[in-house]
Amino acid sequence: MTDAAPAIFVALEASALGATIRQSTWLYMVANVGHIVSLVVFAGAVAVMDVRMTGALAATSPGHVLRIARRFAIAAFLGLVVTGAVLFTAEASHVITNPVFQFKLALIALALLNITWFEYFTAPKVKAVPPLTPLPSAARMAGFISIGLWIAVAAAGRTIAYL
Amino acid sequence: MRLSLFVFAVAALLTGAAAAHHGWGSYDASKPVTVTGQILTSKYENPHATLTVRGEDKVWTVTLAPTSRMTSRGALADMVAVGKTISAYGYPSTVQKDEMRAERITVAGKTIEMR
Repeated sequence: MTDAAPAIFVALEASALGATIRQSTWLYMVANVGHIVSLVVFAGAVAVMDVRMTGALAATSPGHVLRIARRFAIAAFLGLVVTGAVLFTAEASHVITNPVFQFKLALIALALLNITWFEYFTAPKVKAVPPLTPLPSAARMAGFISIGLWIAVAAAGRTIAYL
Repeated sequence: MRLSLFVFAVAALLTGAAAAHHGWGSYDASKPVTVTGQILTSKYENPHATLTVRGEDKVWTVTLAPTSRMTSRGALADMVAVGKTISAYGYPSTVQKDEMRAERITVAGKTIEMR
């Protein structure tokens, strides 16, 4: 416990929930494994969409690829949030003051902003494009930004334990 | 296409590394220490169980293993409870003063690996 953290995170770590997570022999482990499993599924689903938007898999229908892969990405993202919250609660006051964790949160915010922009402005234009037809450059851009940001999120996430 | 493949190869490497937990990098394996003494405080908690032990020279913070691993190897909470005597072989932290991470511990005549 570190008092350098905002009071709410100190309280979260000190809460009965925080203690339960730390003292359970399986809860923390399950959250840890679940976070990685969710990450793998999320990375896979995002990769499929991003690769398609950057011009690969050109013989597929972009609208269909997005529709199917999006479901997996959303489900896996929810898994990441839930398991991440468990891991965070156990050490909230330490993790929130970790600069790499703060950087990771900022990167996630940027990546979600990229998704929001893409879904509102670009996806509607991409949806009905037939296979083997070039996509708008905004789609290519969104794909590359997404790839770069999510890789950075993964790298930052793993670095939390070492700083 | 080629760039995409490269990017995903890098991504695969990074996410693969995420399977390991926090490592031994910040401990100096060239200066092993053995801390023997009474357990003053004991936290049988995740991500790692931690003790404070009154060693011969000073009070050490001794970092052990995740509780699920310790339980499966027979290092139960009551074996590392306050008041018990422990001998911990491990490496001093290069970051946190008076902290060491145990490679193995001996309690009640039983030696248990932590790694």
